[in-house]
Amino acid sequence: MLLRDSFKTAVHGLRHAKVRSLLTMLGIVIGIASVILLMSIGSSAQSLILDQVRGIGSDLVFIVPGATKGSRFSSPPSAQGIIIKTLTERDADALRREQSLLAVAPEVRGQTKVVYQNNDLTVTFGGVTHEFFIVRNLELSSGRTFTETDVRSFNHVAVIGSKLAETLFGSQTAVDKTIRVKNLSIRVIGVLDEEGLGPMGVDQDNMVLLPLSVAQKQLLGIDYYNLVTAQANSAYTAEFAQGRIVSVLRQNHRITDPDKDDFTVQTQEDALSLLGDITSIMTVFLTSIAFISLVVGGIGIMNIMLVSVVERTKEIGLRKALGATNGDILQQFLLESMLLTFLGGVIGILIGAFFVTLAYLILSNTLATGWAFSLPPSAIGLAVTVSTLTGVVFGLYPARKASRKDPIEALRYE
Amino acid sequence: MIEVSKLSKDYRDDGTVTHALRDVSFSIKPGEFVAIMGPSGSGKSTLLHILSFLDRPTRGIYTFLGNDMQTLVDHELAYTRNKEMGFIFQSFNLLSRASVYENVELPLLYAHMPVGDRRHLVEAAIESVGLSDKILVEAGKLSGGQKQRVAIARALVNKPQIIFADEPTGNLDSHSGAQVMEILQKLNDEGHTIILVTHETYTAEFADRLIKIRDGMVESDIRIEKRRHGGKDFFK
Ligand SMILES: Nc1ncnc2c1ncn2[C@@H]1O[C@H](COP(=O)(O)OP(=O)(O)OP(=O)(O)O)[C@@H](O)[C@H]1O
Ligand SMILES: [Mg+2]
Repeated sequence: MLLRDSFKTAVHGLRHAKVRSLLTMLGIVIGIASVILLMSIGSSAQSLILDQVRGIGSDLVFIVPGATKGSRFSSPPSAQGIIIKTLTERDADALRREQSLLAVAPEVRGQTKVVYQNNDLTVTFGGVTHEFFIVRNLELSSGRTFTETDVRSFNHVAVIGSKLAETLFGSQTAVDKTIRVKNLSIRVIGVLDEEGLGPMGVDQDNMVLLPLSVAQKQLLGIDYYNLVTAQANSAYTAEFAQGRIVSVLRQNHRITDPDKDDFTVQTQEDALSLLGDITSIMTVFLTSIAFISLVVGGIGIMNIMLVSVVERTKEIGLRKALGATNGDILQQFLLESMLLTFLGGVIGILIGAFFVTLAYLILSNTLATGWAFSLPPSAIGLAVTVSTLTGVVFGLYPARKASRKDPIEALRYE
Repeated sequence: MIEVSKLSKDYRDDGTVTHALRDVSFSIKPGEFVAIMGPSGSGKSTLLHILSFLDRPTRGIYTFLGNDMQTLVDHELAYTRNKEMGFIFQSFNLLSRASVYENVELPLLYAHMPVGDRRHLVEAAIESVGLSDKILVEAGKLSGGQKQRVAIARALVNKPQIIFADEPTGNLDSHSGAQVMEILQKLNDEGHTIILVTHETYTAEFADRLIKIRDGMVESDIRIEKRRHGGKDFFK
C-alpha cells in the first residue's frame, strides 16, 4: 500500500474509536507533558543558579575548612555540618600579604533571631569585614557599609538585606533603626540592593551582616572562620591565585603531604561546573521518573491495540483476501499506534508548554530575580521522538499478531 | 486456467482428522461459468478457499495460470489474489463504516495504484452495479442486496480474470438474489471466469457447468444449458 493510503487507513481506524483513542492517548499525553515540564524547569533552574553564581564574579577563590575527600561531588566536611576549626585569622593575614590576591574576605555564618518591635524572624547572619562588600560586589540601596573601625572596635551595627528591611520596617527607613539580634542591640547602618541568592544558596535579601568581630566573638564565641573569599588580582588568573593560596595555607598549617590538606580551595569555575553537574543530575533524575509514566502509557497502547486486533479480525482477513500482504497489515497497525502516540506527544508538548508558561509567570513574579522562560528544543525533539518510539515499541507486538492472522480463520471469525 | 489434480485437504483437530477434500481433479478454462453444489459440509468452501489462494492443500497439485501453487510464497499469493482474483462472500464482508467508494477502492490500494488512476476505475465499477447514487453512503447503511452489489463492484474493480463467489445469494431475498446473478452473468459475458458455490438449483442454472461435490469428492461434473434471465430492463 502507498504510504499516503496507509496513513489514511490508520486515521480512519482511529477515528472509528474516537473516545477509546483519546483515552489511550492520555497516558502518553501525561507522560510527555511531565517530561517537558521537568526538563524545562530543570533547565531554567540551572541557568538561574549558574547566572547567580556567575554574578558573584569569576575572579573569586573560595577557601573552606576541611579536605574534600574522594570525588568532587562530596562536599567538604564543613559543609556537612562537621565543625572544623583550622581556618583562622593567622591564615587570613598570611593571605592578605599574598601578591596575587586583591582582597581577602573572611567570614563566619550562623542563624539567629532578629527582633524589631512586634516582628521577629529567624535569618542567616554573616560576620564580615569591609572587604566582603568588595569581593562580593554588593551594592547598598541606602546607608553605608562597615569600616575597618567597625570591625576592630566591635561596633554594634548591621547591614541588612532588602527583603528583611521591608519585613521589619515596612515603608519606614531602615537606617538608624535599632534591632535586637540575639541578645545584642544593633543599629542598622545600611540596606543592600536586591541581590538574590548568593554562594551556598544563601538568600542575600534576607540576611543580616554584622562586623566579623561581633558575630564571631560575641554571637558565636569561636575563633575560626567558616569561609574565606579571596579575589584574584587582575594581573593573575584565578587558577594561579588558587595555587598560591594552597601553598600559603600548607606552609601555615605545616602540611607536607597534599593528601593531608585540612582545607579546600575552589575557584568560581570549579563551583560552577559542580553546580551545573548537580542540577543536570537532578534534571535527568526527575525526567527519568517522568519516563516511567510513558512506559505505563505505552503498555496502555499495547493493551488497546491488542483488543483492536481481535475486534478487527474479520477486517484483517478481508484485507488479506483482497491482496494485503503481512507487511501491509503490519504497517497499518503500526502506523495506528505510532499516530496515536505521536498525537499524544504533540498534545503533551502543548500541555507541557502551557504549564511551563504558567510556572514562568508564577516563579518570575515570586522569585523576582531572573527566572528565565525556557522550553529547550532538545526537550521537544526528545518528546516527539520518544512518544513516536513508544508507539513503535508497544505497537509492534499487536501489529505482528495482526499480520500473522490466517485469512480464512480471520474471515470465518464472528 | 485452473488445473487441479488429486487435491486433498485434511483438517486435524486434536486427534480427529477431517478429510474435507479427497483427490479432487478437474480443470477450468478461461471464460467458464462453473457452479459448485453439494450438501453442507461436503467441502465446497474448502475447495473455493484453495482455488482462491486463501488456503493451501494438504496434498495434490494446483496450477493457476500456469503457476504451481506450491512454488509460490505468501506474498506472491497475495499479489495474485489482488491482480487476478475477485471475491464475493455470503456475508458481504464490507467495511461497514467506510463509504461505498472506499470499500470498492480497497483492492486498488493494495495494488499500489496512484490516486489519480483509481478514481475512474472505482466509479466505473460502482456504476456497473447500479449504485452510483450511493457512492458516498456508509456501506453499513445499505440493504443486503445493495451490500452484495458493492461487494461485486469491489470484486471486479481490479479487472480480475476470475471471480470467486461463495453463496453470494445465500443472505438475500429472491429479488436481490436475481439482481446479483444478473450482474454475475453480465460479467461472464464480458469474459470473466466465474466460480460460484451455491445451494440453490435456481442460481446454479446461470452456470454453463455444474460440479457436484459429496464427502470431499467430485460426484459429477456436467455441462448444462445456460439459462438466461431478465435482460437490460431488469434494474428499471
Ligand atoms: N478450519 C477447519 N478446521 C477443522 N475442520 C474444518 C475446518 N474448516 C472446515 N472443516 C470441515 O471440513 C468439512 C468441509 O467444510 P466446508 O466448509 O468446506 O463445507 P461446505 O461444503 O462449504 O459446507 P456449507 O455448505 O455448510 O458451507 C466440514 O466437515 C468441516 O467441518
Ligand atoms: Mg461453505
